Amino acid sequence: MSRSVVVVAGAVALSAALVVTYAALGGGRSTPTPVRDPCGKRISKPTHGVQEATEQIVLATADGAACELGVTREELLLALGSGADLDRFASRHHVTRARAEQAIRQGLVRAIDDAQQRGAIGGTTAGLLHGIADHLPIEMMLAVLEKAAGAFSS
Amino acid sequence: MMRHFHVGITQVAWVLISYNLVLAAAAVPAAHAVRRRPRSLCLAGLVVFSGSSLVCGLAHVFWLVLAGRCLQAVGAAFVIAAALLLLDAIHGSESRAVQVWVRAGILGAALGPAIGGIVTQLAGWEAIFLVQAPVALVPILALWRLETPRTVAAPITRPRWAPNLALLLGSAALSAALFLLVILLVNGWALDPAVAGLVVTLMPVAAVVVGRFATPVAPGRVVRAAAGFVLIAGGLAGLGLLPHAGWAWTVVPQLLVGAGLGFTVAALTEEALAGRGHPVIHGGWTIASRHAGIVVGLLVLTPVFTHELAQNKTEAKRAGAAIVIDSSIEPLHKLSVARAVLRELDAADGRLPDVRPAFASDPTRPDSAELTRVGASLQDRLERAVTTAFSLPFLIGALFALAALAVVSVTKEIAP
Repeated sequence: MSRSVVVVAGAVALSAALVVTYAALGGGRSTPTPVRDPCGKRISKPTHGVQEATEQIVLATADGAACELGVTREELLLALGSGADLDRFASRHHVTRARAEQAIRQGLVRAIDDAQQRGAIGGTTAGLLHGIADHLPIEMMLAVLEKAAGAFSS
Repeated sequence: MMRHFHVGITQVAWVLISYNLVLAAAAVPAAHAVRRRPRSLCLAGLVVFSGSSLVCGLAHVFWLVLAGRCLQAVGAAFVIAAALLLLDAIHGSESRAVQVWVRAGILGAALGPAIGGIVTQLAGWEAIFLVQAPVALVPILALWRLETPRTVAAPITRPRWAPNLALLLGSAALSAALFLLVILLVNGWALDPAVAGLVVTLMPVAAVVVGRFATPVAPGRVVRAAAGFVLIAGGLAGLGLLPHAGWAWTVVPQLLVGAGLGFTVAALTEEALAGRGHPVIHGGWTIASRHAGIVVGLLVLTPVFTHELAQNKTEAKRAGAAIVIDSSIEPLHKLSVARAVLRELDAADGRLPDVRPAFASDPTRPDSAELTRVGASLQDRLERAVTTAFSLPFLIGALFALAALAVVSVTKEIAP
């Protein structure tokens, strides 16, 4: 075998060994994290305590609003941080702020009704939450939910 | 530089593109000009390079940096072209002059990012240019003492397209290795520029070591070039398939790219200069090809990797929120953790964020272990996502190397 063939074959062998090894170790593969379809049917798990009930309401609100706006639940949760976050979200997704607010309120109302039907919350709590959903300005509504979440988790 | 001038990575890429574009355009005219007065034009080139380095280092607006870079390239074109004739005068042998000239070119191109990274870390980006200014004047002392080089009476023949085209495509591939790897290390994996600079010195070291032994191992220039492009393609494919984040994973791919660099550039430059044509003119064509290749590489790769980074950021946010929400962290705590993670990801702006502090908690919490587990799992996923964002550009670089290999395979070697 000529020296030229050995040199080229050696280069091919080294390169192939590297590529095969790295590919076998999982290189270049990044499976996107599965993100649930917000419009898909939710399986309601029985809740234990106020914390889990509140979590389900918040997530169901996000699901409903995300489905309405054609975005993911994760994107919408990011928008729920503050009024400024919601503004950024609205501009990024080419919807008006009013449209985004309306979707969130409708999502919250549906989530409250679902929770009440399942017996996760009582009538008084449902009424209080309906009042929040219908009347409070969105920033205040988000702040109340945030504070409630903080109070429950501590 | 991005923070200093409030510009994005695409604009900063023009600091490299402008220099290489002007150098590619000026190399052949400069080669024609230096044939008669190599010493004085080399002196003029050094002074222009030094002065324009000062302009870059002291620039207070971004366009002035770009203008300085263009002037630097004009000066460099004269210096590089004249250097071939001056080396001939020093060594008294054209073939030895070509060898030294080529090796100096490889070393310069490969060491640039390494030295740049270290100087940036120690003293800021301006220091790169401010250091260049006096360093560029040092050869002037040697030039005064040099005898006037002999005039080479060789005909001006047409450039050899195959080795020059292979050099162009190979340089496009190498721009992926040199430019993208530094960005991956510094911007992607948040390594200090000085450490990143040290890491990428592996390539020039491999290039120099292999370059010394390449000719005895494979005397044929076309064979050396072919083997070199196979190694460069393999190394770049390896960088495109990094299994994990961490500079140690780049070592073997870098050694392959460096070895390929040692094989190809010298072989192809010698091949382009072979024959009876004027060496300086053909040398000018090789410089034009190499720097045009860097421009092509940067113009193709920059939009690809900036797009991949933007995609990666969106995916990272989705992953961050989804992983936290679907975890078994205490229900209401997970919402605040999810938002803390998303804030961290927003602030990272394409870099690899450390999201683990968002999961730090009181160890007495019942979900403390779950918080640590989810934090580690998310960090691992983010590291993989940032690394994968660079996969496509590196793989495109490998394709450039394979295209160069195809050109080399149809090249007929000229007898020395």
